[in-house]
Amino acid sequence: MTGEDKKLTQREEELAKSFEAAKDNLRKFDKQVGMVMDLNKCVGCQLCSMACKTLWTSVEGREYMWWNKVNTLPGKGSPKDWEKMGGGYKVKFEGKVMEPILGKHPTRKEFGDMWKFNWNEVITNKAGQVHLQAKNPDGTNPDWGMNWDEDQGAGQYPNSFYFYLPRICNHCAYPACLDACPRNAIYKRTSDGAVVIDQERCKGYRFCLEACPYKVIYFNFVKNVSMKCIFCYPRLEQKVPNACARQCTGRVRWVGLSDDPKSLIYKLVKVWKVALPLHAEYGTQPNVFYIPPLAPPRLAEDGKLDHSKPRIPREYLRFLFGPEVDAALTVMQTELDKVRNGGKSELMDILIAREWKHMFGPFDKDPATLERKPGQPGSYSRPDMTSLMDQKI
Amino acid sequence: MTEFRISRRTFLKGAGAAVSILSLSSLGFLGGNTLANAAEKLINEWDYAGWEDLHRKEWTWDKVSWGTHLVDCYPGNCLWRVYTKDGIVFREEQAAVYPVIDPSGPDFNPRGCQKGASYSLQMYNPDRLKYPMKQVGERGSGKWQRISWDQCLTEIAEKIIDGLVDQGPESLIFEAGPGNGGYIHMMAPHRLFAGLGGTNIDLDSTIGDFNRGIYETFGKFQFMDSVDGWYFGKLHLIWHMNPVYTRIPCYHFISEARYNGAEVISIAPDYNPSCMHADEYIPVEMGSDAALGNAVCQVLIEKGWVNYPFVKEQTDFPLLVRTDTHRFLNAEEMEGGRKDQFYMWDAAGKKAVKAPLDTLKLPCDPALEGRFKVTLKDGNSVEVQPVFDQLKTMLNNEYTPDKASKICKTHPDTIRRLAEKCHKARGHIQIMVGWNSSKYYHGDLIERTMCLILALTGSLGNKGSGIRGWAESLFEGALAQIFKGHEGLGGLAQELPTLKRALNLIRREDPTMTDEMSAIKLEEVYDRMMVNMTVPAFLYYEHSDYKKSWDNKAWHCPTMKRQFSEYYNEAVSKGWWEGFIRPAIGQTPTVYCWMGTNPARKNRGWNKNILTSLWKKYKLIFGFETRWSTTVLYGDYVLPCAGFYEKLDTRFPTPHVPWLTITEDAVKPIGESKMEWEICAMLGKKIEEVAKKRGQTRFTPKIKPMEKFRFAQEHMVCRTENNDIDLSKFGQWQCMGANDFNTIFEDALNTSVFLGNLPAGTNMAKLREVGIVRFANVSPFDGVSMNLATDIKPDEPIVPLTWHTGEKKLPYPTYHRRMQFYIDHDWFLEAQEQLPVHKDNPKMGGDYPLRMTSGHQRWSVHSIWIGNQQLLRTHQGRPFMFMSPLDAEQRGIKDGDLVRVFNDFDDFKVHVKITPAARPNKGGTMPGQVIIYHAWEPYMFEGWKSYDTAIPGMIKWLDLVNNYGHLHYWRWNWCAQPIDRAVSVQVEKA
Repeated sequence: MTGEDKKLTQREEELAKSFEAAKDNLRKFDKQVGMVMDLNKCVGCQLCSMACKTLWTSVEGREYMWWNKVNTLPGKGSPKDWEKMGGGYKVKFEGKVMEPILGKHPTRKEFGDMWKFNWNEVITNKAGQVHLQAKNPDGTNPDWGMNWDEDQGAGQYPNSFYFYLPRICNHCAYPACLDACPRNAIYKRTSDGAVVIDQERCKGYRFCLEACPYKVIYFNFVKNVSMKCIFCYPRLEQKVPNACARQCTGRVRWVGLSDDPKSLIYKLVKVWKVALPLHAEYGTQPNVFYIPPLAPPRLAEDGKLDHSKPRIPREYLRFLFGPEVDAALTVMQTELDKVRNGGKSELMDILIAREWKHMFGPFDKDPATLERKPGQPGSYSRPDMTSLMDQKI
Repeated sequence: MTEFRISRRTFLKGAGAAVSILSLSSLGFLGGNTLANAAEKLINEWDYAGWEDLHRKEWTWDKVSWGTHLVDCYPGNCLWRVYTKDGIVFREEQAAVYPVIDPSGPDFNPRGCQKGASYSLQMYNPDRLKYPMKQVGERGSGKWQRISWDQCLTEIAEKIIDGLVDQGPESLIFEAGPGNGGYIHMMAPHRLFAGLGGTNIDLDSTIGDFNRGIYETFGKFQFMDSVDGWYFGKLHLIWHMNPVYTRIPCYHFISEARYNGAEVISIAPDYNPSCMHADEYIPVEMGSDAALGNAVCQVLIEKGWVNYPFVKEQTDFPLLVRTDTHRFLNAEEMEGGRKDQFYMWDAAGKKAVKAPLDTLKLPCDPALEGRFKVTLKDGNSVEVQPVFDQLKTMLNNEYTPDKASKICKTHPDTIRRLAEKCHKARGHIQIMVGWNSSKYYHGDLIERTMCLILALTGSLGNKGSGIRGWAESLFEGALAQIFKGHEGLGGLAQELPTLKRALNLIRREDPTMTDEMSAIKLEEVYDRMMVNMTVPAFLYYEHSDYKKSWDNKAWHCPTMKRQFSEYYNEAVSKGWWEGFIRPAIGQTPTVYCWMGTNPARKNRGWNKNILTSLWKKYKLIFGFETRWSTTVLYGDYVLPCAGFYEKLDTRFPTPHVPWLTITEDAVKPIGESKMEWEICAMLGKKIEEVAKKRGQTRFTPKIKPMEKFRFAQEHMVCRTENNDIDLSKFGQWQCMGANDFNTIFEDALNTSVFLGNLPAGTNMAKLREVGIVRFANVSPFDGVSMNLATDIKPDEPIVPLTWHTGEKKLPYPTYHRRMQFYIDHDWFLEAQEQLPVHKDNPKMGGDYPLRMTSGHQRWSVHSIWIGNQQLLRTHQGRPFMFMSPLDAEQRGIKDGDLVRVFNDFDDFKVHVKITPAARPNKGGTMPGQVIIYHAWEPYMFEGWKSYDTAIPGMIKWLDLVNNYGHLHYWRWNWCAQPIDRAVSVQVEKA
């Protein structure tokens, strides 16, 4: 699928140029907000997922989506085996050329569908006759979900290993979704660099689902548009941090301006260099960064400590976070040892986050203090409220 | 380039200059004819921000109120903001307004978890109950009818009177649980059944959260630091706990303690989720922790890494034990004095001196080692030996790292390294024990050895040190509503002299008692006389098929020398449990009511132990519920209760997160559901009405009140002067003279201020304004809060036990008033458990190669939330069991397969998740592990047979002791509890 395969007409070349110029425009922004997640603090609780769910994806057509999710690694994740689905770019010539990689369109079932449960049958039949079961909307039995392989991991007992990886849209500097959109419906917002899909321009071609190498875009089958994490732009506009970040009880996520040397995320990413993008080789330049996981030492056959290699194979972490992961983990361990020996560490102090609200830089406002009245009273309802089974009995 | 202009954006800076994307390839991956689409359909001027209001409008609300979740997801007390739109709860978000208490550590924000964050979904989930319902077919028929409140309560009241007439008050059984629906609302049904003279089953004995070993050592287990204290620990031993699942909002204090220089070690049979962030993982054979712990202690003593001043003063190490009888040398045999007055050996004076009863202050420098001769009153000379000497000998003989390693299968080097780390933590070890150990058959032994490590290293009473137990206290204004006459400070003014009189009586008996000890004694009186609380062991043994399980000697520990029934009969016939055997022997249970619990799920082996026996004896079964649980489906009536954002209340109080936390009535209760207090007030009136109509208002309890404390019942309008039950004013009794719940709420707050738990000025208006109020202090009328034995400071985490370890030197509420590592009760001596020893886990369920372990899970709080449609999607949406790849392969089992799990007791089917994190079977004494986290609804399993089905629910015979100092039942303490961990099973493909 390279250009050499095909001779373009002059008209096509013109179109191509204008296309390129359009995409350049859509990628522009004033300020970029970024996020750092410390995987050494993450407990995989899905509070971030629920925070996002109740805020953005509990309305019709979006119920099956998880704009934020947490997966156990190693694992197939969500959508199932997303790392094998392609998308993104092959970066060549020191980044001067980025060659798109054909991606696979993830299916609804690979994400995990909106299961339906047989409550009425359970309750109205004789005890023990029917048990509660999930069904996909098409009547099939679910065989995957957003967190199906939770806590399974890999390795060999007692050197088993696993850890949690929360994922949202990476709000990339070079979003493959943006390039792939034939409608030019995807753009980076001026004020925060969030990558969003214009719901009015989107016509549901779904090329973005193929192009995104992180597979974080869902299709709304009711509205026939593509949707994904919006980086909580309505909150950022009000100086309130993203729901997933503000609600993270593990205090895993820092939010701030990527290029502000005073911001904590700048310190973690650019100064201490302990926070790394996931799969940087996808070429999209994410604005979400991860502090890679440490792990307890391995045990030898006889039960003694075995320091010859790490519990989490380094190759695996390099696969996820690139070769920089070695240095990042060394810094983490060095600073941990430093405080353990009574020393002081700026890095550890940042990660402790004594005063929680300082994790979010300028975005430290309490949403409950805002007045945000809905435009039209009486318009809000919940889909499930009208179908409660006990009315029928 | 004329195709389009996006002029607004052309002035913005680009993301980078040097990179150009090969547009041809870009277009290439769009596929064939999209090239045309790409440009030609563009609109010249497009306002890209135009659509963005879509999401702005979604993030709107009419009203914000406070919310919390009225369940025992310990320690809870997470404060939320609840956002409503159009009378419906739209969402919740953590309030995150916990103030900085100790600026040298992290704050509590933003407390919450994914369950809390999705209660707005849960409240409207399809399993929500909205109307009073009656099962019109037989129990479990699934034939339900919606009925009116009046019909429902009338029929219930009739059957309650039937039960009173037929079998008497104690035959009415009330089982409350941890999903209580609010601390103040929870008191209402307690009051109802207390008023009726019913039997109130202690929740700790049914959920198994009583830490027996901690209690045996300290005479209490409800002391613990506030979770912000964890940050200040230097060595965290995560041991029989999985805080990554179970302490989600508290976990950051552990991860941040690590960043502050603490070391985190996880000790567990499986590489559970709390191991991933540890500095070291120590795999250990299931249930062998006492061997590991004892070996650590052996090393500590051998190396001299013992805080000697601490152990001499705080523990029973110096107390003298007779080498002939193995009992403490006591003052009765020495001089005709108190039988519970013991001695230590004055090394300098070379004589036995009395260990003071009223202080820990030492009368001399006591010997810890050696054998000495003393002469008794009768002239006989006997040999005595300090406890420490015996302990040291035992550890050296049986628990060297090499010997222990053969039991716990942990390398001796690891044990030695662990001991060294314990030593180096300099009194700042934090043992993170949950309620896993307490659910092991020999969990008491495991906990006793954990306590031993803490004692040897002096890791108690210091900021960041200690061991976790459970603690529910500091809001006694609510609890007093079970038994006080009427609401308002007038009601309290009436009650206080009674409490004082009782306290004085207790103190007069033994002036050496501390306030804490007398508060505990007061509790015993009130539990027996007013709250009618007891362990269910007697109900179960007399009336259910638990008897069959417990009588099966093969499923007990082989060190149980006699038949279980012999121990049971001895405990009963000797009157050890006098006043606590409810229903009385010969009285058949008639009515069963539950609240905030799901007994069909929770009671171990419920299907076999209860459903076919005890359940059938009940003439009426009803419950307070918010959702269709399995228990509901096996019951007669269900009373639909208001959701957690549909009523005013507080979460139950705990020093662990030391704020009283409010939830508000953000919206009206859905359907016809009502607040529990209101339901009970209506039921109270109805009972009075029915009783009067039938002319049957007086009933005589079978169990007589304690003569000395009869006066405590005087103010109860539902008692006659003879202490009979009188229903003629029962409606008045139940509502405490209040017309609405707000009055009751205010009363609970006012009373707590008066008692000293809450700061002055705390009232409903204040709480509605600020959401949380930090507890001010403990109260002498609240035995449980007194167990903290510390002063609550405004700028520091709560550090328990400082009244013992600090300058006050107050004795512990144990038999001999020191930390007790030696128990000289007959049965303990017979069992060779006078000292903390290791014993193998018995083969409960039969001789099978796998052990089923469990624990609280991540995806729900007990079974509440388990049906939450969105939470179900965060896992497999069905029950599953983890299994090692080695054990699975041997059985031809693949990931996702449905398997049958069975033992000699019963079986169930479940899907398997294969993980190398589970401990594989290595043959012989190394059984394999299958892990199934708890709280799935039984109706999520085929045939509604949950994993609990295969748990016989054994109790350890020593739990029936009730005649030895602190080994005596009182509310939530010294609870005989059915065991559910490490049950023997086999697995095969279904």
